[in-house]
Amino acid sequence: MDKNDQPVKKRKYGSLSSSAKKERRQLDLMTLPTVIWYGLFCYLPLFGMVFAFKEFTPVPGKSLFTNLFVNSPWVGLKNFSYLFRNPLSRSVILNTLTYNIIFLAAGIAIPVALAIFLSEVHQKKFQGLVQMTLVLPYFISWVIVGYCVYGFLSTDTGLFNSVLKYFGADPVQWYQSPQYWRTIIILLNIWKTSGYTLIIYLCSITTIDRTLYESAALDGASFMQRVRYITIPHLRPTVATLFILGIGSLLSSDFGLFYQVPMDSGALQDVTQTLDVYVYKSLMINANFSYSSAAAFLQSAVGCVLLIISNLIIRRVDKNSALV
Amino acid sequence: MRTVNRFGKKILSLLTAAVMTAGLLTGCGAEQDYGKDVITLRWVTFGTAVPDDLQKIVKKANEYSAEKIGVVVNLEFQPSEMLNLIMASGEYYDMIFTSTWANVFNNQVAKGMFYDISGIVRDETPELYDKIGEYWEAAEYEGGLYAVPTLKDMGSEMMFRLNSDYFEKEKGMTIPESMSFEDLEPYLEAYKKDFPHKYPIGMDKSGFPGYSNLQEPVIGNILGIPYELDTPKVVPFWENENVIGKFRLLHKWYELGYISPDVAAMEFSAIDHDSPVRFGVAWRGYLGYSNPADWGFNVKTSIYAGPYISKATEQGAMTAICAGCTEEKARAALRYLQLLGSDTKFRDILAYGIEGEHFNYLPNGTILRTQRGSDCYSTSLYQTGSVVTASVESVSEDFLNDPDQWDKVFEGYKEYGIRSKSKGFVYDQSRKEDIIATINAIYLNYSTDLVTGTSDPDVVIPKMKAEMEAAGLDELLEDIQSELDKYLAENPD
Repeated sequence: MDKNDQPVKKRKYGSLSSSAKKERRQLDLMTLPTVIWYGLFCYLPLFGMVFAFKEFTPVPGKSLFTNLFVNSPWVGLKNFSYLFRNPLSRSVILNTLTYNIIFLAAGIAIPVALAIFLSEVHQKKFQGLVQMTLVLPYFISWVIVGYCVYGFLSTDTGLFNSVLKYFGADPVQWYQSPQYWRTIIILLNIWKTSGYTLIIYLCSITTIDRTLYESAALDGASFMQRVRYITIPHLRPTVATLFILGIGSLLSSDFGLFYQVPMDSGALQDVTQTLDVYVYKSLMINANFSYSSAAAFLQSAVGCVLLIISNLIIRRVDKNSALV
Repeated sequence: MRTVNRFGKKILSLLTAAVMTAGLLTGCGAEQDYGKDVITLRWVTFGTAVPDDLQKIVKKANEYSAEKIGVVVNLEFQPSEMLNLIMASGEYYDMIFTSTWANVFNNQVAKGMFYDISGIVRDETPELYDKIGEYWEAAEYEGGLYAVPTLKDMGSEMMFRLNSDYFEKEKGMTIPESMSFEDLEPYLEAYKKDFPHKYPIGMDKSGFPGYSNLQEPVIGNILGIPYELDTPKVVPFWENENVIGKFRLLHKWYELGYISPDVAAMEFSAIDHDSPVRFGVAWRGYLGYSNPADWGFNVKTSIYAGPYISKATEQGAMTAICAGCTEEKARAALRYLQLLGSDTKFRDILAYGIEGEHFNYLPNGTILRTQRGSDCYSTSLYQTGSVVTASVESVSEDFLNDPDQWDKVFEGYKEYGIRSKSKGFVYDQSRKEDIIATINAIYLNYSTDLVTGTSDPDVVIPKMKAEMEAAGLDELLEDIQSELDKYLAENPD
């Protein structure tokens, strides 16, 4: 395009604007990998939802798309029925919800508290050390955690039972005793995830204007008062964001935590069986893509609805903290 | 605009580079020209890992088969989930592994996924047809033949594997060729007395192998037809004394400390290597459990059940041809399977590798793998075609196997095999798929504890039964029984 063709109005901003624009375009381009990634791996596979409402009857030699859209008949909600046939499905769904609500609450309270205390530590080296120690579990796979837990809980060689025996108490058959496992699972989840969320809160705390604290201190505010009237109000948008995101996966659960860590022990199923574990067990023997899509669809649909509702509520209460 | 273009170009060239690297990595262009009239088949078999020397060995086999029958293969090893995915996504293949336990034959054939070879197998490959003989039953579906059964151990024999150094030499006990399940008790007791802090039975969370073969399976391990019945009837496993009796004994042994208290959470690697008692499923004359170099002591096996033969046990491994194949390709696949089933020299290549490098022939006609063979091509015979055609593997130069073991195994089936009387009945699971999925999930909540002896069957079975009944067990049982009766009436002797 010739420069002379440009309208006079635009020239008013001079060369600065055009270089700024250029820069913005470059920045826009930098989002391209993310956009492509999400397009390919999050939006494109959405067509698979159709599986949930079809009886998948592939014809050999035809492509997946033809098989799914042309060759498979619609069956309405039939694929969902196995989810509710089990007399245990109520307790399975209840388990999933209870754990997730506890995780959600603990996942806010504990990291926020830790972040506040850590932000008061002024020795940088120590702060870094604590931070690293807390984040480390986030990167350990549940399978490995499962074996470590087994090292603690195994009946004849486990650490806990050795201690119990040393003090003359009877050893416990941990993998046969469901009463302990709610606590074990909740503790493990906190141990594994809180370090990561802690970093997010710690970052928000560092963005708070330091002068606020200084003037509050001059006015004689105590530590608790500073936390209550400065830190927490400033953390509100971050808490709201993480809360809304967490609510979206209220029906989903970490398969590793609920299946690998209890070693799939049958005696523990009443407290460890969540929706994902149940779906895995139903379909492990006969692979049925329509059934598993139905379960995934239900989880996402409920999650989506909850997410929108909670976002609406938060927008009512505090407009700035809502996501959209 | 020029900036964008420059950026665009850069991104484009990056993408191109990435695509090219990916292409290189996936190794296309491994095709070799074997001549114009040679047919190439994509053969997908079951395997959780790809053997290191696969390409080299397949190339060697292809040179041989191209010359003999004008057919070569691209052999792939894929795990169970990938087999399901290949079938469902309509990916192209010519031959695929199918069985009762991976890429389930009965489900796939009902969907019409496999080629009906009944019209071509007799005239294209008569030798193959005759050799499989009565075992074609495994591949039958509504009058057609939809796979080529792999001749291997066609029935299942369940055995104890006992440390003979300890029990026979040290304790002076004898290990008979066969015994009943409860006869094991004195052996367990003897060991526990000597080593009160150890557990005689070496078992992991998968339980004792063989429990799933004690009845003819209809719905997994849950519902089956007892082999002992003269008129076939489908029952839940807890009504079959042959199954539940063994679970009760196992629980008794668990309580007595013959099995580790954590067995239900234990992986294979956690089993004590010294365990003098293990369970196994194989065939008479099988030496795979007996190599002292593997186990640290001499092992004798003693059979406690079987051999049970039913359509399900015969379906342990089969090769099916894609329904979308042309007749030319289907015929080529049959010729290839015939060559695998008749030419021992050719069969040994895919079975063990290249002679001199991966294995050597021993004077008595058996083979011995070399170190490289065990390291870089340790596949099981059933994965790559007919088992009985391959040379028999010896344990070591001093521990020789019988080169004619398979003749004896098959004679044994005729002589004392316990045959199912259901005449090859298969229940179409899509009739009650949601009930089946639900009871599978319920079963899996209890199965680990039952098959390891951890839980008391008399306590948990009533609970499990009630849950399954609430999920529609009776409706399912009724439907299966009426289908079974219908089938038996339609197929009189």
